[in-house]
Amino acid sequence: MSRKYRQWVKEYQDQAWTVARYILKDAQEAEDATQEAFVKLWNNQDSIDPDRVKAWLMKVTRNGCLDRLRRRRNNVEFDESYMSGEASGPMQDVSANEAREWLKRAIGSLKEPYRSLVVLRDVNQHSYEEVAGMLELNLAQVKTYLHRARKQLREQLAEVRP
Amino acid sequence: MNEYDDKWEDRINALMDGELSARDAELLKTEATDDRELARAIIEAYQLQQAMDAIQVERAPDSLRQRLRAIPRQNRTKPAFSLLQPRWAMALAAIPLVIITFSLMRPDTPSASEIAKARQEMAIAFAYLDKAGVITGREIESSVGQTMADAVTDSVNRAIKSQNLNSKEKEA
Repeated sequence: MSRKYRQWVKEYQDQAWTVARYILKDAQEAEDATQEAFVKLWNNQDSIDPDRVKAWLMKVTRNGCLDRLRRRRNNVEFDESYMSGEASGPMQDVSANEAREWLKRAIGSLKEPYRSLVVLRDVNQHSYEEVAGMLELNLAQVKTYLHRARKQLREQLAEVRP
Repeated sequence: MNEYDDKWEDRINALMDGELSARDAELLKTEATDDRELARAIIEAYQLQQAMDAIQVERAPDSLRQRLRAIPRQNRTKPAFSLLQPRWAMALAAIPLVIITFSLMRPDTPSASEIAKARQEMAIAFAYLDKAGVITGREIESSVGQTMADAVTDSVNRAIKSQNLNSKEKEA
């Protein structure tokens, strides 16, 4: 096994998995999408700038997930279950785990590219510049879209908080 | 905030990202004391940030980890041609060996054409030697006298005749 490939797997498998998990909301499909991205990484390892492997991998993972969503179509629909009040009550009444799950679902309900932006920037903690490279957006676009995404999450959070 | 304000939104996010200068942060807080909507937006942003901090990168499941480790084995591409590859290096090294072996295996007996050519070359060589013996005899004669010249030319001629005789015997 290529040493550098092994290193990339070690460094980025969790981040790529997290991106796939949030976008696809299906563990099995997220595994498949992550594996596909790493297969592409293996097949293109000689042509990828080593300094840009992370950005390349996240972009390929995300694009693969979006392709899967397009094929699925019906699953792209807005997931409103978390808004019903039955799935999650006021934030002060739920445990920390439930709050975390609520937020994950709220992030998962965002439309693209907002969802990817939140996952890459706020969950995976990539820099704005890295996110811009991954999504092929300029820095101003990244900030504008991310601010809108955060605003949506804030508003949803406000609705479930007392 | 009474309406969506990109300017405020940028500043709130900059505050959350720690990119707002201390002076601008103070200014924003001052503005928030006079604007309930702005104050609420800032509080919500902090609440979201707290909730977001609880979310971390998820650990990839073991099944996926195994699948990722197996990719090199399952996607081994055919390596490109390279003389540095062991099999090609061995093949290259074997070429001189094959040539040497082949040359050693050649038969010792020359072909009929080779024999004919060698005879021809030999006859020409003896003719030259014959002439050289005569010329040498003349030179010796002119310098040391007939007796010495006869001795030298006779010995040369005898040697040539003896060689001719030997080669004829061999041919026979």
